[in-house]
Amino acid sequence: MGAEAVVALRGHSVVKKRIPKDYRIAELDTKLRRERTRLEAKIQSDARRAGVPTPILEAIDSFSITMERIEGPPVSSVMSEAVAEDIGAVLCALHSAGIVHGDPTTRNMILSAGKVYMIDFGLSSYDRSLEARGVDVHVFFQTLQATDDRFPALKDAFLAGYARNCSNAALILEKVNEIKERGRYL
Amino acid sequence: MTVLGIEGTAWNLSASLVDDDEVLCEASSAYIPASGGIHPREAAQHVANNIAGVIRQVLSSTDPRLIEGVAFSQGPGLGPCLRIVGTAARALSLRLGVPLVGVNHCVAHIEVGRWKTDLVDPIVLYVSGANSQVLSYRQQRYRILGETLDIGIGNCLDKFARSAGLPHPGGPKVERLAQESRNYLPMPYVVKGMDFSFSGIVTAATEALKSASLEEICYSFQETAFSMLVEVSERALSQMDKSDLLLAGGVGANARLQEMLSVMCAQRGARFYAPKSEYLQDNGAMIAHTGLLMLRHGIQTAIACSGANPSFRPDEVEVLWIETH
Repeated sequence: MGAEAVVALRGHSVVKKRIPKDYRIAELDTKLRRERTRLEAKIQSDARRAGVPTPILEAIDSFSITMERIEGPPVSSVMSEAVAEDIGAVLCALHSAGIVHGDPTTRNMILSAGKVYMIDFGLSSYDRSLEARGVDVHVFFQTLQATDDRFPALKDAFLAGYARNCSNAALILEKVNEIKERGRYL
Repeated sequence: MTVLGIEGTAWNLSASLVDDDEVLCEASSAYIPASGGIHPREAAQHVANNIAGVIRQVLSSTDPRLIEGVAFSQGPGLGPCLRIVGTAARALSLRLGVPLVGVNHCVAHIEVGRWKTDLVDPIVLYVSGANSQVLSYRQQRYRILGETLDIGIGNCLDKFARSAGLPHPGGPKVERLAQESRNYLPMPYVVKGMDFSFSGIVTAATEALKSASLEEICYSFQETAFSMLVEVSERALSQMDKSDLLLAGGVGANARLQEMLSVMCAQRGARFYAPKSEYLQDNGAMIAHTGLLMLRHGIQTAIACSGANPSFRPDEVEVLWIETH
């Protein structure tokens, strides 16, 4: 069970709705859900504008976002060096647009029509810091390592993809190692 | 096994004797500042003046020859206090001829909570003066999933209370005043993934003193800060796929925080636990109990490694006593 929103399939669309939280007073709860829904929609469409494959937004209301349903397997089930390299390039494009995903696990990426789509921008933010980008890459490495025995080769492929358009890939890798040393992100 | 533990990281100096089943004896001496907040030098002076007394009280409750280990709070905490506690613990361990074990104060809060609630593998929300963290056990460590990016929730409450002219400790006073209002003033709500920040609330609440009533500020302060803590606790339950939440640390005594956490857990079908407030606040029993667990698993602290560690993090401790499946 997710912490923040419920996701429902409706035909060719996906509806993500932020549900009220009984523990918060209504004024605060309403404000947070409204702001976050708006921010998520804005980031997702900015990401798309920057060339990152993401679902097209169809409708937004106060607490829910309706978007295109991307058909395809999560990248975890079709992982290969080529896919890892594409993920690197996509994450680099997102970072170059000044956005960090916040939760770039292999469950939040879908392979569709040969392209890697990023979904669920619920924890995303506008952030250009090396730290935030490093955490993104670290989170991705962690999920990859936990689910795939070919991790060393996949990691190299990812970095090759990331470096294709991001000149600071070496710095990022250094940051990732530092974050890993801290040992606090699972 | 019987272990004597000494806690003295900040405000409450406390010594306790525990065995595997229960707390046998506890003696405490709280430092109450004459004015302002906790002053490190005065707090250390308080420890120095009273540590012999609390230890003597505990020793007199038993035959000292039955004590099989001496545990002490090694950190995190105020260096000057930790050093005195460490000195007393070393002396006692040498005098009794039993092993010494340095305990992480945060881990001790978690362990006493698990002990008193019989939980095995919960998500832990640890909230005290200086610390605010969400932790989860995995592969022999308590992993810090999220934490404050600046100050702890208790310090945040105390800081504001001081600027509002309320005497230390401010938390309980803010809690009481908050019950007198239902008028919410927006305050900075800062959650970044699993991390959170409180310094903005202190500034906003202090600023609001110019134009709003103390009651409505206290109410808004608590609702905002506690919602942040509950939100990250829920995210941790969701991400780690766990269904038990344990509250630890002195701020956990706040009834509104407990209420919000229990509502959150009820809404998602999880279970919420908080030990009695004597085990939420700093206490010697938590140090003694954790020391006992460590000694039972062959962990001791050599004199050479027993120095104070004011920035000791919980994830530095190897946790060998939890069996998950």
